[in-house]
Amino acid sequence: MSRIDEHPILGETKKGREVEFTFDGKKMKGYENEPIAIALKANGVMIHRYTKKEHKPRGLFCAIGRCTDCVMVVDGKPNIRTCVTPLKEGMEVRTQDGTKAAG
Amino acid sequence: MKRYEVIIVGAGPSGLSAAIEAAKRGVKVIVFDENEKPGGQLFKQIHKFFGSKEHHAKVRGFRIGDELLEEAAKLGVEVVLNATVVGLYSDKEVVVKIDESIHHYKGDTVIIATGAAENMVTFPGWTLPGVIGAGAAQTMMNLHGIQPGKKILMLGSGNVGLVVSFQLIQAGCEVVAIVDAAPRVGGYGVHAAKVARTGVPFYLSHTIKEVSGEDCVTGVTINEVDEHFTPIPGSEKTFDVDTVCLAVGLSPMSQLLKMAGCEMEDNPKRGGQVPIVDEYGQCSVDGIFAVGDVSGIEEASSAMIEGKMAGVCVSEYLGYIDEAEKKEELAKFDKDLSSLRQGMFAPENRGKVIEKTEEGIDISKNLLRNGFVADDEIERFPGVVHKVGVHPVIECTQNIPCNPCQDACSKGCISIGNNITCLPFVKDDSQCINCGMCVANCSGQAIFLVDEDLGDGSATVTLPYEFTPLPEVGTKGFGLSRSGEKICEAEVVSIKSVKAFDHTNLLTMKVPKEYAMKARFFKCS
Ligand SMILES: Cc1cc2nc3c(=O)[nH]c(=O)nc-3n(C[C@H](O)[C@H](O)[C@H](O)COP(=O)(O)OP(=O)(O)OC[C@H]3O[C@@H](n4cnc5c(N)ncnc54)[C@H](O)[C@@H]3O)c2cc1C
Ligand code: SF4
Ligand code: SF4
Ligand code: FES
Repeated sequence: MSRIDEHPILGETKKGREVEFTFDGKKMKGYENEPIAIALKANGVMIHRYTKKEHKPRGLFCAIGRCTDCVMVVDGKPNIRTCVTPLKEGMEVRTQDGTKAAG
Repeated sequence: MKRYEVIIVGAGPSGLSAAIEAAKRGVKVIVFDENEKPGGQLFKQIHKFFGSKEHHAKVRGFRIGDELLEEAAKLGVEVVLNATVVGLYSDKEVVVKIDESIHHYKGDTVIIATGAAENMVTFPGWTLPGVIGAGAAQTMMNLHGIQPGKKILMLGSGNVGLVVSFQLIQAGCEVVAIVDAAPRVGGYGVHAAKVARTGVPFYLSHTIKEVSGEDCVTGVTINEVDEHFTPIPGSEKTFDVDTVCLAVGLSPMSQLLKMAGCEMEDNPKRGGQVPIVDEYGQCSVDGIFAVGDVSGIEEASSAMIEGKMAGVCVSEYLGYIDEAEKKEELAKFDKDLSSLRQGMFAPENRGKVIEKTEEGIDISKNLLRNGFVADDEIERFPGVVHKVGVHPVIECTQNIPCNPCQDACSKGCISIGNNITCLPFVKDDSQCINCGMCVANCSGQAIFLVDEDLGDGSATVTLPYEFTPLPEVGTKGFGLSRSGEKICEAEVVSIKSVKAFDHTNLLTMKVPKEYAMKARFFKCS
């Protein structure tokens, strides 16, 4: 999905410093302190986790930290709500499978 | 346990307004909000608000939020962010989770201003990545600057569905349809009309049959429903989309009040489970107040007044003002609030089918069914007039509490009448100087400036334009009808963008004269 470069009302979006992070081992770029989920979306990632019982994909849903659909394994810690967790340089983000990292 | 005179939960418009009123009178106030940024819903709203000057009308939502925050900060209100209130007891003990730790506070009074949560609906495929809430769409595009999707179907034609659809188009996304199971558009007609004229089709009496896709959304199928909401076989339509956005209503987040033992009721007119409150927000538990959406889904404008009322009440409760002063202040707010709660969309009219305006004019059926007023309906409204030279044409056809158009015109061309909900009309003896202020200030983007006959077979239509890229003068394209259909050739002859318009550009297009009263949007070829 694309970032909005020039918004008719809001103008240019204020962004932090560009930083590198990894998603399932793959290098990606995002902006420091934006929610991890936004950086993933900008990189085209839709699936954040698979449900435990039925192995069904889940992605960003409420974007305000309420639904827990977007949880992932971040720096080894599972169940991190990526929609409200700021992105930092070098973060390791992994798809969550049930309660663990996938793969 | 730390003690405060008043603890406010929620830093949205109602919570901040309550904080300001109390702090003004010397009360020691603390506000908790679960978000990283204060302001509640306001920070996602980039449109100009309805109402009157006193209710911040024609100011964009996020600016109202900034104003409230600044005022609160000046008064020394303590706002604690990333702080989720997880418990409230009848003795006004408040349990707050900050980071991973739990803190206990005690309030002499507590004001609950937690707002509302989005409702959900289920259908096959609703859990697929790409199905999102309308609030999520707003968070992504208006706070974080990213498109929620490329091609989007909106479920819900209430104000949230309509406003968010418009915002999606502003963010450069394509809205393929607005779908609603109800037989009539739920939100303001002017919000519907500004989306419809860009070419978005409305499917009323339709609902989502299923969303398809393996790993994420790739399509959606809708079908028509009869008056009992039963699907009509063979009525399916499928759209290729990557995103389905849900705007199917809000419910008050009243759990904390229930936990504290406040008497509750299930009231559909107020949006669900709400506390039983007196006219100033006092709940059944002494010293606990509820204000804003949590005590009944309404608008930011009414939420702010409710907040102010509770702020005054706690000041009196705590002895900072006397009974007489409280009564005097509250009387003022009473008047404001009752003027807002009028018109076709007033809480008491929820669920009613209204056939005529207060003036006795038949409501446009097409507006309720398809999102735009039909050509053969528009002439009956008082804002739609014909004159020689440039003149305003006001396509505002429902009774809503709003009047910036009247204040905008320094020449006195526009009047709302005695009541803020009356339909605006153009005064007979007035002379329009083509300044454009009415077009830019109309919260509903419902005013056009028309010169019906330039003498050479053409006419000009000036319309509000809030999209990028902004076409340049000389750009050729098409005039679109109110329904968003290409109906004639058009050329941009002027673009006006001045600071006073606050990002609403005025685009003037030249069209053949027979389309002067029909062409209402411009699209480049
Ligand atoms: C798309 C859209 C368009 C709108 N357009 C208009 C308009 O044009 N004009 C208008 O007047 N109104 C409009 N509104 C309505 C308006 O935004 C709301 O009515 C208003 O924001 C309600 O204010 P509030 O203070 O009650 O709640 P909110 O603004 O929702 O604020 C509540 C705050 O409390 C926080 N909170 C909740 N629970 C907790 C907890 N347990 N602990 C800590 N914090 C908590 C929330 O996170 C939030 O920040 C619109 C709304 C939407 C969604
Ligand atoms: S263009 Fe200016 S003068 Fe004409 S009606 Fe609008 S505000 Fe009044
Ligand atoms: S025409 Fe006037 S009353 Fe109608 S939406 Fe515009 S500003 Fe509000
Ligand atoms: S998307 Fe709902 S918690 Fe993150």
